Amino acid sequence: MAYRLGRKKKSSKRLIKKNVILLTMVLPTTIWLILLRYLPMFGITIAFKDYKIYTKAPGLINNVIHSKWVGFDNFKFLFATTDSLKMIRNTVGYNLLWIFLGLVISVAFAIILNEITNKFVAKTYQTLMFFPYFISWVVVSYFVMALLDPTSGLIVKWQMSQYGEATNWYHTSKPWPIILTLANLWKNTGYSCILYLTAITGIDKTQYEAASIDGATRWQRIKYVTLPNLRTMIAILLIMNISKIFNSDFGLFWNVPLASGSILDVTQTIDTYVYRALSATGGNLGMTTAAGVFQNVVGFVCMLIANSVVKRIDADSSLF
Amino acid sequence: MKKILALLLVACMIIGTLTACSKDSTSGGQGNGGSASAATNGRPEDHVTLKMYFHGSNVSDDTQVLAKVNEYLDEKLNVTLEPIWGTWGDFDNNAVLAINGGDDVDIYFTCSWSADEYNLFAKRGAWVRLDNPENNLLEKYGKDVWSLLPEVLTNGAKIEGSDGFGVYAVPGYKDIACQLCWDINVPLLEKYGYTVDDIKNTDYYGFGEILAKVKAGEGENFFPLLIEGAVAERMVDNSIIVAGDSGATNLLSYYINPVKTSDKGAYGDVILNKFATDEYKKYVTKTREYYLAGYIDPGLANAEQANNLRSEKQLTGQYLIGTQSYSLGYETQASAERGFEVAFVGTTPAYVDTTSSQGAMMAISTASKNPERAMMFLNLLNTDPYLFTLLDYGVEGIHYTKNDIGEVEFIEDARAKYSPWTNGMGNVTLLPPQKGQGADFWTKFKAYYGAADQIPILGFTFNSDNVSNELAAVANAAAEYALTLSVGAVDPETVLPAFLKKLDDNGMQKIVDEANAQLKNFLANK
Amino acid sequence: MKKRIGKSRLGKPSIISEISFYLILGMFCAACIIPFIFVVIISFSSESSIREIGYSFSPQEWSASAYEYVFQLGDQLWRSYFNSFFVTIVGTASSLLMTIMYSYALFRKDFKFRNFFTFFAFFTTLFGGGLAPTFMVCKQLLHLSNNYAALIVPALISPFNIIIMRTFFTTSIPEELIEAASIDGSGEYKTLFKIIIPIAKPGIATVGLLTALSYWSEWFLAMLYIKDSKYIPLQYLLMKMQNQADFLFKNASVIGVEASKMLRDLPSASLRMALVVFIVVPIAFAYPFFQRYIISGLTIGSVKG
Repeated sequence: MAYRLGRKKKSSKRLIKKNVILLTMVLPTTIWLILLRYLPMFGITIAFKDYKIYTKAPGLINNVIHSKWVGFDNFKFLFATTDSLKMIRNTVGYNLLWIFLGLVISVAFAIILNEITNKFVAKTYQTLMFFPYFISWVVVSYFVMALLDPTSGLIVKWQMSQYGEATNWYHTSKPWPIILTLANLWKNTGYSCILYLTAITGIDKTQYEAASIDGATRWQRIKYVTLPNLRTMIAILLIMNISKIFNSDFGLFWNVPLASGSILDVTQTIDTYVYRALSATGGNLGMTTAAGVFQNVVGFVCMLIANSVVKRIDADSSLF
Repeated sequence: MKKILALLLVACMIIGTLTACSKDSTSGGQGNGGSASAATNGRPEDHVTLKMYFHGSNVSDDTQVLAKVNEYLDEKLNVTLEPIWGTWGDFDNNAVLAINGGDDVDIYFTCSWSADEYNLFAKRGAWVRLDNPENNLLEKYGKDVWSLLPEVLTNGAKIEGSDGFGVYAVPGYKDIACQLCWDINVPLLEKYGYTVDDIKNTDYYGFGEILAKVKAGEGENFFPLLIEGAVAERMVDNSIIVAGDSGATNLLSYYINPVKTSDKGAYGDVILNKFATDEYKKYVTKTREYYLAGYIDPGLANAEQANNLRSEKQLTGQYLIGTQSYSLGYETQASAERGFEVAFVGTTPAYVDTTSSQGAMMAISTASKNPERAMMFLNLLNTDPYLFTLLDYGVEGIHYTKNDIGEVEFIEDARAKYSPWTNGMGNVTLLPPQKGQGADFWTKFKAYYGAADQIPILGFTFNSDNVSNELAAVANAAAEYALTLSVGAVDPETVLPAFLKKLDDNGMQKIVDEANAQLKNFLANK
Repeated sequence: MKKRIGKSRLGKPSIISEISFYLILGMFCAACIIPFIFVVIISFSSESSIREIGYSFSPQEWSASAYEYVFQLGDQLWRSYFNSFFVTIVGTASSLLMTIMYSYALFRKDFKFRNFFTFFAFFTTLFGGGLAPTFMVCKQLLHLSNNYAALIVPALISPFNIIIMRTFFTTSIPEELIEAASIDGSGEYKTLFKIIIPIAKPGIATVGLLTALSYWSEWFLAMLYIKDSKYIPLQYLLMKMQNQADFLFKNASVIGVEASKMLRDLPSASLRMALVVFIVVPIAFAYPFFQRYIISGLTIGSVKG
C-alpha cells in the first residue's frame, strides 16, 4: 500500500514537472500574444463609443475612457443600406464556393504532385504555383485590364475581329463571379496545396506498402490511404476558413474589377461597402472598429459550429 | 465556457493595468504642460523640440537644411525642429493613427481633402483652438501671420470645433481660389481649323461639331473628350463641392453664379441633391450622346482606371478637350511638361469656396506639450522669407542658385534628395520666384487671387454626424451609378430613374434636409 | 526487395492518367507564370509605349530604362535588399523557434492546458483591437519605431501557423515515440530538438517557407513604424512609389497643378514592374532550399516504399 502510494506520488510529481516544462515552451509565444494581441483588445470598446480625442491629455486610452458610450450606434451603418442582404450574400456566397473549390482543387493538385513520378517536374510545378503569391492584386488588375480593356484589351480585340462587337466587360455583371473565382483560385491554390502536400509526406509509408502488397491500384491507394490521412488537415483548414466567412479579400474585389460601379451587384462585399462608407463619412474610428467586430463575432460563431460538427464526426481532427 | 471566462479575466486584468498606466500619463501630461514657460517677447528661456508632420514630401537627406534651420530657430525661438517627412501615400494611415493615438507630434498638416480633414478632426478634438478666449495663441504669438493673410483665408479657417466656433489652424497662403477650365490641346484644335476662341464662344452643349470633325479625322481609337466625370459635371452645371460632403462621389450641390460668383446662383442659398436637378439630367443626356458618338474613352467609366488613363492621355496629348483645375501660370508649365501648346478656358471666374480656402493648413495638435512655442514657430515660418525659403527650397548654393533677376534655379541632384511639397508648407508668397516665372510673379499671384470673389456660403462645412448612416448607404449607391452616368457609359433614360429611386430608398432626402438646416443656421449666424 | 516494392508502388500507371496529370498541372502552372512574364515584359517596355497603348504583351518599343533607374537608386537599393534579407532570416528563425515550441506543447496530449492554449492562440485570429490600438501598443509601449525589431516583432507569431504546425505534428509523429523517449529518460527539450524536429522536417520547412514569404513580402509594418530610410525594406520601397502615385492620381484635382508635375517625376509603370521582378527573383532562388525538405519527403517515401 505504502509502495503504491509512493509510486502514485512520484508519477504525479513527474506529471507536474512535465507540465511545467511544457509551460515554459508556450511562455514566449504567450507573452507575445498578450502584448501584441490581447493588450490591444481594449480597442474593441471603441466600437461602442463615440470616439473623440480627450483634449486635456490625448492618448488612445484616455480617449477611449473619456468617449461617450453609444451602444450599437456604430453598427447601424452596416444595415442602413437597401443592399445589406446583397453584400452579405456576395461575401458569404463567394466564401462558401471558394472554400469548397479551393479544398477540392488543392487536395487534387497535392495528390497529383505526389503521384507525378518525375520529381524534377514536380519541383518545377510546385515552384511555379507560388508565383501568384507575389503578384499583388494591383498588378493582377493590370493584367486583367490587358485582356479586358474596352479599347485595347486582347480579348476585346479578338471579339471585335470575330463578331464585330465586344462585351463591355467592366459593365457586365455576368462574367464576374467566374473571373473573381478564377483569380482567387489562381492566387491561393499554391498556398494551400503545399500544406496538403506536406501532410502527404507525413503519412506513414508502411500504409502504402501494405496497400501495394494487397494489390491496390493507384486510385484505391489514393482513396484508402492518402485521403483518409489528409482528413485532419482538411478539417483544420476548413474550420479556419469558415471563421473568416464574413471577411473578403479587399484587393481582389476592389482592384480587379477596377471598382467599376455597374457590376457592384456581384462585386460588392462587406469590406468594399465598409470602405466606401468610411471614406464618405470621414473614417470614423468607431465605425471602423464596429465593422471588424461584426465580422469577427459572426465568424466566431460559425467557427464554433464548424468545430463542434467536426468534433462529432472525428474528435481528433477538431481544433480544440 | 471556462476558457472564455479565463480569457475575460485576462482581458480585465489587462484593462486594469492599462487604466492605471493611463492615469499616470494623464498627470504626466499636465505636469509637462504646466512647466512649459513662455515669454511673450524675445527668445524664450527653455529649449523645446517641435515635431512637425509634413505632407507629400520627397526627402531623403535633410541634414544640411536642418542644420541651418535649427541654428536659426535656436537663435530666434530656442526651438529645434524635427520634421516628419510624410509622403503622399502613407499619410492617410500614419497621420490619422498618430492623431487618434495622441502621438507626441506638435504640428500637423491638415486641409479640406486629406485624411486628417480639418473640420472633422477639429470636431473630434485633435486641434488646439488658436483663438480660444481663455488662451488666445493667435492674439499672443500669431499677430504677424494673421495680419498678413488675406481675409478669405482667415474667414475660411473659422469653423465649429471641439472648443466652439473659432480658428483651429493657420491657413497656408497658396493658390486659394478655384477655377475649373477646359484643357485645350491647341495644335490639334488648330489642325482642324479652329482656334481657342471657338471654344470660348461656345459651351459644352456646343462642342459637338468640333468633336465630330476631330473624331472623324483622327480615327476610331482617338477619343477627343477627356473628362473627369464629376469635374465636367460641376463645370457644365456651375455647381460646386459642398465641403463636408462624402469623399469619393459628391452627392450635394450648391449652384453658383457663373458670371459673378459672389452673387447668388440659380437656386439661391440652397443645397440640392445633385442628381435630381434638371441641370444634371441635361448634362448626362448630352454626355451620353457624346459617348455614343465615340468622343469619350470607355475606360473613363471604371473608377480605378479613370484617373491613370486621364493623366496619361493628357501627358501624351491624346485628347482635344479635357478638364483641369487651374492655377496661375499653369499654361506655361503644362505646355513645357507635355511638349505642345496647352490653353485653358475657364467656365467661371476664379472663386474662393470653403474647400479651396482650406487647401493647406497647419494645425497644432492637442497632444502638443508646447502649443505656445508651436504657435510662435508657425508665426515665424509664415512671415520670415529666410526661414521659409530655407525649409522649402533648401540651402542656397547647395540646393539652388539664383540668377540675376532673382529667380531660383534648382541644382537637380541635391534637390532630388530634398524636395518637400511647396504648397504644403505655408505662405508660399515668401519664396523667390522660380525660373521662368518672372521677378514680378508674386505680385501677379496676389492680384489674381486677391481679385477672386468669395462665394456666398464661404466657410460653410456640412457636418454629417447626424446622418452618417444614411451617408454611408447613399455613398455606396452613388458609387454604383454616378461615375458611369457622368461620362455617358450608361443610358440615363433608364439608369437615372433607378439611381434616383435608390438614393431615395437609402435616405438621400434626410441628408439634403440636414444640410439645408445647417446652412440656414450658418447664414443666420454669419 | 526494396526496389521491387518501390516499382510496384508506382505500379503500372496508366498512360492516360499520367499524361492527364502532367497536363492539368502544366496548364495551371502556365497560368501562374504568364502574369509574371507579363510583368517582366512591361518592366522592359518603354514609358511612351505604356502611355500610348497601355499595358500590353507586345510593347511598341523596348527599353531597359526602368532597370537603369533602379540601379541608380544605388545605396538605397542594396541597403533595402540587405534589410529585407536580414529581417526575413532573423524573423523566420525566431518565429519558427517560438512556433515549434508552442505547437509542440499543444500537440502533447498529456499537456494539461492544451485546449486552453489552443484557444488562447486561435482566439486572436478572430478578435483583435484593430489597427489603432495595436499601433499604439507597439509604438508607445514597446518602442517599435525606426528599428529592425519594428519589422520583426509584430509579425513573429501567426496563430494560423501554430495550428498548421500542430496538425503536422499530429499527423506525422506517432504518440508511442514520445512515450518511448520519455521512458528512456529524455528531457522534454531534448525530445523536441533531438527526436521530433528531425522527423517533422517537411512540416517545419513548410511553415518556415510560409513565414519567410510573409516576412519577405511585408511592407505594411515598414509603413507604420519606419521613417528612417536606413531600415526601409525592399517591399516598402516599391509600395511607397505605388502609394504616392495612387494618391496623386486620386487627388490630382484638389492638390492642383503641382500634382501633375509630381506625377511626372514619379517612377513609371515600367519601374514598378521592374521592382516586382527585383522582389520575386531572390525568393524564387531561395525557394528550392525549403522545397528540398518538402519534396524530398516524397522522394524518400517512394524509394523506401
